[in-house]
Amino acid sequence: MKTELEIRKALRDWIVKTNGKIRPENLTDETPIIEQRIISSLQVMDLLLFLEQLTGKSVDVEKLKPGIFQNVNTLYENFFRKESYVY
Amino acid sequence: MGDFPRIVEKLCEASKKEYANPYSAMEWPEALDPEGWFMSPELLSIYGMPEYDRLTEGEKKKLSFYETVNFFSLNIHGEKSLVEGLARQLYQKGNQELSPYLHHFLDEENKHMIYFGGFCTRYAGKIYRDRKMVFPRDYAPGEEGFLFFAKVLIFEEIVDLYNVKMSKDARLAPIARQINLSHHRDEMRHLVFGRNLVKELFQRYAAVWPPEVVQEVRRYLAGYISATWKEYYNPDVYKDAGLEDPYRLQERAFANPRAQAHRKKISEGCIRYFLENNILEEEPVL
Ligand SMILES: [Fe+2]
Ligand SMILES: [Fe+2]
Repeated sequence: MKTELEIRKALRDWIVKTNGKIRPENLTDETPIIEQRIISSLQVMDLLLFLEQLTGKSVDVEKLKPGIFQNVNTLYENFFRKESYVY
Repeated sequence: MGDFPRIVEKLCEASKKEYANPYSAMEWPEALDPEGWFMSPELLSIYGMPEYDRLTEGEKKKLSFYETVNFFSLNIHGEKSLVEGLARQLYQKGNQELSPYLHHFLDEENKHMIYFGGFCTRYAGKIYRDRKMVFPRDYAPGEEGFLFFAKVLIFEEIVDLYNVKMSKDARLAPIARQINLSHHRDEMRHLVFGRNLVKELFQRYAAVWPPEVVQEVRRYLAGYISATWKEYYNPDVYKDAGLEDPYRLQERAFANPRAQAHRKKISEGCIRYFLENNILEEEPVL
């Protein structure tokens, strides 16, 4: 089982790797990843696969709302702390 | 608009002639023959990988069943949003000439969902989920409509090649061949319509869009082709087929050079169309 710090770091690492241009020091847990186009709507599909791997659960895609992809904080809250979108 | 009104008229005639009753068009077997193939082995997402070669004949067939359920599910998700979008376009200002055909388009896509959904729910008891998401944003004039039809075209171009190959594959269970064939028969018209409309919309709007919008449209469509393909590699399928480590397998399968060459080959005609009409300027990375 990963700790909260490890999960947040894994999420940031994935975003940095997927974007390919942003430097790790420029990405915080508050950086708006969709609004600033660090992650595109098409890449959210890959993000969902990554989240499923990390949580070991399936994402309930019909429930998803754009707001939960805002930044690392919202990802952590919704998929890991509250687990509201996985089954 | 050139020849477009004539083409639309002809397509309407053809659609009326091919008009089908979706409740009598298919012969649904009570149960599927577990010894059958449902997707051509060469089209399976892990074909040619050691993970595939290791499987027994029976396991390969089982995988072909779940890959078919995925292929049909992708179609259902595509068609659900297609029907939504078509309904929105119907009788919109500027679409008077298209509207008679939009009725056929809507009707035919609804029937396709009856076929695809019929297969998935009867024999698998489910439809795979769709991981594609669209976030609301602002569009330049005409951009949203153009992207809508361009995305539909990309999706239908790829699907159609699978349909054609499988409708001719004598190894497949009759119901799988039949669904692929009847889909292809309607899609031929949708592709003619899409190819004409997308080109025409691009000519009309790209001339007035600022360069950044054109650039963004190109970037988006290139990414869309790749994202469309990605859904052919579904870890849920691998899980159901009993394959190990489904998420890793999905990544490896998509990255596999043979699979990449396969995607290139299947998308060739579609990409050529986008390049020739200057909608794309360079080959997208698949
Ligand atoms: Fe269709
Ligand atoms: Fe279609």
